[in-house]
Amino acid sequence: MDTGPLKTLLLSNDPAFWAQLKSLTKSARDFADLFLLSSLRKKAHARNLAGQNPSAKPLRFAILGGYSLYPLHELIEHLSELDGRPLELWQGDYDNYISEIMDDESELYAFAPEVVFILPAERRCTYTGQLTDPRAAQQAEAQRTVDALLDLARQVNAKTGAEVITTNFMLPARHDLGAFRSRSLGSDWSFRKWVNLELGLNAPSYLHICDWEFLANRLGGLAARDERSWFESKQPCSSALLVELAREAAQLVAALKRAPKKVLVLDLDNTLWGGVVADDGLEGIELGDTSPRGEAFKAFQKYIASLKQRGVLLAVCSKNDLARAQEPFQKHPEMVLKLDDLVAFKANWEPKSENIRAMAPELNLGLDSFVFVDDNPAEIEIVRQFVPEVTTILLGPDPSDYVAQLADCRLFEPRSITAEDAERTRQYRSDAQRQALAATVTDMASYLESLSMESIISEFVPVDVPRLSQLINKSNQFNLTTHRRSEAEVSAVMHDPNFIGFSVRLTDRFGDHGLISIVIGEKVGESMQIDTWLMSCRVLKRGVEEEVLNELVRLAQARGCTQLAGVYRPTPKNEMVRDFYGRMGFTLTAESETQREFALPLATFQPMPTKIKIIRRAYEPS
Amino acid sequence: MNQAEVIAKLQAIFDTVFLEPVVLTPAISAKDVPEWDSLTHISLMVAVEKDFGVRFRVGEVENAKNIGEFADLILKRKQEP
Repeated sequence: MDTGPLKTLLLSNDPAFWAQLKSLTKSARDFADLFLLSSLRKKAHARNLAGQNPSAKPLRFAILGGYSLYPLHELIEHLSELDGRPLELWQGDYDNYISEIMDDESELYAFAPEVVFILPAERRCTYTGQLTDPRAAQQAEAQRTVDALLDLARQVNAKTGAEVITTNFMLPARHDLGAFRSRSLGSDWSFRKWVNLELGLNAPSYLHICDWEFLANRLGGLAARDERSWFESKQPCSSALLVELAREAAQLVAALKRAPKKVLVLDLDNTLWGGVVADDGLEGIELGDTSPRGEAFKAFQKYIASLKQRGVLLAVCSKNDLARAQEPFQKHPEMVLKLDDLVAFKANWEPKSENIRAMAPELNLGLDSFVFVDDNPAEIEIVRQFVPEVTTILLGPDPSDYVAQLADCRLFEPRSITAEDAERTRQYRSDAQRQALAATVTDMASYLESLSMESIISEFVPVDVPRLSQLINKSNQFNLTTHRRSEAEVSAVMHDPNFIGFSVRLTDRFGDHGLISIVIGEKVGESMQIDTWLMSCRVLKRGVEEEVLNELVRLAQARGCTQLAGVYRPTPKNEMVRDFYGRMGFTLTAESETQREFALPLATFQPMPTKIKIIRRAYEPS
Repeated sequence: MNQAEVIAKLQAIFDTVFLEPVVLTPAISAKDVPEWDSLTHISLMVAVEKDFGVRFRVGEVENAKNIGEFADLILKRKQEP
């Protein structure tokens, strides 16, 4: 890695340093390189070099465990900061994590962390008896190890409300014990595998597993360890794996507040099949089990279908004649993907950048939730230049690598897969049917009437917390304050008597929209302050907004409030609700660059009529 | 390779790692270089092992008192088959 130009920028105090540092950091795989970049970053801070995220508020991040955490913490800090999320770090003492967590008076708690990263000591994850002990005894000890870790995580979460990340355990990489290794739970190999599995399967929603076993396996067991660095400075693993561990930790921190991408836009020719359908014809394209290349393309389609299963929306964008482009989907027997797997199909001769730009409003999604995949560098470039919000993936020359490229892209990783994710394609497709119906019904009121909408309004309940946090963290457009909350923070709202929090589910005769609106209010004196009001844009202007207001007023009055206070905080994406409170009958009371404040007196409020049948209301017995 | 040649090659590595130029001599040690803290030390050692194609044995780097002794250690490890 050539850091010469970067150093020159630093020595001449040029803010262009940061962009170059970011790009070098993204590609650095070597420990020494990444380390050097991190020390240059610190030197830039020491010189007060301008230009790096002046507004980003640091996240309070504690790291503790059974190893020396230096320089691991340094790498995590570097990666997270250059990803736009600076950290304020607290570092535990070497192997002091158990008492740091148990002791209410410890510095850990004085630090008040938002995220706590624990690396439990590997040497405590071992069976202390004989290899030949009864399996029940070995299993009981493994279970105690798991329970102890879960209990540490629970204590941290209960005392701080922080999200907790814990590593699991690397497996041994030496031949020791031979084939007996897998015949006894008493071997480190089997014991740790069992502990890792149970830990992951039983982790509560605030606990995130940093899968060290996986990372070591991916890198290679022998390359993962370095005994010398353990003896010399109590390092947790080899420097090569330390880089991967730091990247994973930074990724987990980012995933706490950043939503995965939602739409995968696919090219057709030489992406979903080999060859050019318009030239080679339906029979001429390579797809399916009759040739190795055809098999590779079919495998890629199968992988894409599995992404759809997880809730990723699929779309096509191809330079093609529409009828020719659709023909394989309708007639080719080896096609895995069908037309009804797709939420948008653009096959024409317009630039792909414009086609993708047009998809966003049709699907009511921001362009930054799109990922575009193509084998043609020119098409990738035009999208990069003209719709830079879209993430692009240029497929390599060999279709047998396509699956790996997508599987390693880290853009579609669910935090927790909810049943609603799998339903999403169906929801978006029935939106299209609904729009067709709207065209046939003349007035809006009778259209809404014909939808037979039913709604359930529920106070926050534990089972909804993952979905609530997911929506709170990804909803951008209809979101008055864009106040993000982790699962732990949503739970905190649920248990605080000064707060009300409710969600709205909507069904109509075309299907279930699922959980589509969330409101959080805080009672301050006689005023109910609306902290969060967000809604899925798919159900705009169906009466949900009005029903939410009706419910808010009802709950506020039940708590002795005399007014609702709402605030709009502008972001690059929520312009659509700038005047929302005004439209709902609120009065503008104050306005500045950063917010617009509104109030609504409750004494004269009349519930707003809608066409939605409310099946259940919040905080009422069902 | 002799000690002077090793130090010349080390100079190139140090120039990469340190922002302020340091002129290496056999007598210079970590305490003479403000930027040479335990953090840059780890980075330096990883780079040295990679560039010279050597692997130090446990604990021996910290026994080297200055650059001259460190260069001798590199030579010793390089002479191993």
